[in-house]
Amino acid sequence: MTSLRMPRRRLSLTVIAVFAIVSVFVVRLVDIQLVQAAQLTKDADSRQVRTVTTYGVRGDIVDSNGAVLADSVDRFDITASPKNVSPEGFVRLNKDGTKTKVALTDAIAEIAQLTGADQQQLYTALTKDPTSDFVYLVKAVKLSVFDKVKALKIPWVYSEPHPARNYPNGAVAGNLVGFVGTDGPQAGTELTQNPCLNGVNGTSTYETSADGVRLPGSTVVTKPAVDGGTVTLTIDSNLQWFAQQTLAQQAQATGSDWGTAMVVRVSDGHIMVDADYPSVDPNDRNTVGVDALGARSFSSPYEPGSIMKPATVAGLVDKGLVTATTHVEVPARFTDGLPPGTVIKDAEWHGDVHMTVAGVIMNSSNIGIAELTKLESEKDRYANLRAFGFGSKTTVNFLGESKGYVANPATVDAVTTVTQQFGQGISATSAQVASMYQAIGNDGRKVPLTLVQSCTAADGTVSYPNAGPTTQVVSPFAAQQVRAMMETVTTQGYIHRLITIPGYRIASKTGTAQVADGTGKYGNDYIVSVAGLIPADKPQYAVIVTLAKPDTIKTSAAAAPGYATIMKQVIKTFRIQPSTTPAADTPVAW
Amino acid sequence: MSAVAVARPLRQPTTHTQPRRHLEVVPTRAQRRARPRMLPALVTIGGIGVILLAQLLLSIVIADGAYQVSSLQSAKHDAQLQQHALSEQLDLLASPQHLAANAEALGMVASGSGLYLDAKSGAVTGSGGAAGGSILGAGDQVSNVLLDGTPLVTPAATGSGTTGTTGTATTTDAREGSQTSTDAGAGGAGQDPQTPGLLPSPNTH
Repeated sequence: MTSLRMPRRRLSLTVIAVFAIVSVFVVRLVDIQLVQAAQLTKDADSRQVRTVTTYGVRGDIVDSNGAVLADSVDRFDITASPKNVSPEGFVRLNKDGTKTKVALTDAIAEIAQLTGADQQQLYTALTKDPTSDFVYLVKAVKLSVFDKVKALKIPWVYSEPHPARNYPNGAVAGNLVGFVGTDGPQAGTELTQNPCLNGVNGTSTYETSADGVRLPGSTVVTKPAVDGGTVTLTIDSNLQWFAQQTLAQQAQATGSDWGTAMVVRVSDGHIMVDADYPSVDPNDRNTVGVDALGARSFSSPYEPGSIMKPATVAGLVDKGLVTATTHVEVPARFTDGLPPGTVIKDAEWHGDVHMTVAGVIMNSSNIGIAELTKLESEKDRYANLRAFGFGSKTTVNFLGESKGYVANPATVDAVTTVTQQFGQGISATSAQVASMYQAIGNDGRKVPLTLVQSCTAADGTVSYPNAGPTTQVVSPFAAQQVRAMMETVTTQGYIHRLITIPGYRIASKTGTAQVADGTGKYGNDYIVSVAGLIPADKPQYAVIVTLAKPDTIKTSAAAAPGYATIMKQVIKTFRIQPSTTPAADTPVAW
Repeated sequence: MSAVAVARPLRQPTTHTQPRRHLEVVPTRAQRRARPRMLPALVTIGGIGVILLAQLLLSIVIADGAYQVSSLQSAKHDAQLQQHALSEQLDLLASPQHLAANAEALGMVASGSGLYLDAKSGAVTGSGGAAGGSILGAGDQVSNVLLDGTPLVTPAATGSGTTGTTGTATTTDAREGSQTSTDAGAGGAGQDPQTPGLLPSPNTH
């Protein structure tokens, strides 16, 4: 019997033992896998899993030809760990295997020499808090400098990437491109197109071996980085540079406070040039005043003066009220309907003269325009100016853009309702004026101004900003008539010698507007401008040059040389062919 | 009853001398087939050994490759940084300010208006006119602080390889200068035709 019982007992003992052991393991397993799992995983990860930030690069801003106006560049912050700094210096292992002892002060001197940093400041930073593990030594150095610092093999020197913004063309279109400050984009296209440009940083993790080598196949992208898109402007950067150079020279020669120059492609409203003087270099914003950081052509409305006259006349021709050859009797002074004591005069005194409507434009007669306003109701005149875009922002919607001011017929006084038809008592931006000339050049069809051509996302998808509707402001006949009138300015106007370009038919209009001195009266300062279309018979480009408060010449003759120079460059840049027909010989008097 | 001792015959001693015959259960064929065999066992164990060895070698190779991948990735990263730095430099050198300053430093002037030749009629249209002269005459008005310290490509710097042609270029310049006074006047850059190191210019009519 016992012999039988023994194995059975042994068996049950074994089973119990095995079970007990297994239980112990199970308990431990549960403990490790479930109870402590999170903590253990964390501990393990902290030892072997590295998390890295992958940078989504901010997109470029390029001109219409692809020239880079703004891009992101690699810069490096040189950092250090003061607690690893030994006052005795360190031993450097040279390439040939020899060792050199480098004193702390020598190491600092080497860094200072490469980076241009101040030795004393570096020393202070390193020794101020010897327990600290992190301190910035030099910020945002270029790769060439960074490589040299790395080659010093100083054991306590570290680095971190510091993506930075770079504007290789400097002030070329700096007014439009804007800039990025430490807190992100602050002006211009950088700000308005930030949703397109902005990259999104991502993270990825990988595991490392004991010696820090990345384990193959262990990289996990926890959040993919998305690069920013590329914004393409309509600007031609070479022509923009030329216009800025010309504008600045002309502004300085005439002692002007500021100036703008715009070139707009008539067919599609693309802004090829929008130059400002003074203009900001986004790489160094301290070179100009705060008011020059943006684009004045959008943000600074002014009383445009006589360059408004074509808009008024175009409205009249459109309604069939006049043509280029309609006779106008222009008296020496205009007082009809004005309050007592108020007189509208021309720039130069004259007696009663007989002008055609073209003559009114050519002579830039305020009285002539005032006479013509009698033909049209206040409401229609107002509607005409608004249809040309005055009193509302352009579709560019530039940062800080002004909508200008057009007096409403409901509230307008008896003087302004007349004067705003020749550009006084009304305010407009250079962009609005350029838009008006675009419409006249494009047979009355006003195409919304465009500055941002497209946004190309990192994955290649291209989106175009919503430009807004194209409107027929005046009839093609009216636009053509006005251009014929404007041609007489180029051929016979008082600045025709300055703006004639042999071989080309050009429609121009001058403006010399008095600037209100802030007390409700006009002072001795003027804003002068010349606007025009080339070629006059089939316009391709509208050009407008404006100078504010010139000292030496207080008429549009101040802006004329710049206008002609930019016009010539437009001809060269876009290879505009010479006109094959002579200028329209529109009579200006009768 | 009778107590007669009867001698019992001795028992025949068991035949111990004879070796016991070896008996064995002969396995059936099925049993024989089921018996573990040596060769497959060896092959299996050997196979496992080979597999383990192969795995070991493979992991060594992979680990080694990881170092290589790691170093190549860092080399790629360095190369990318290098490329970025160079294209940044290129963009800067391609800026209009730099190009214009260099062109004028080399004695170039802006061209005049273009002329157009109608291939059908042979007629020439356009104003033409003299060269436009110096654009930067009144100084570079469009600032670019990034260009500070960037040297201009001066004729002296590039002229070393073209000393042979410099002489002819100078005479050509002088001849053109005497032919058309407008050219020299419009040049405006203050270039002395006799300045050595001027770039050669084609003699066009």
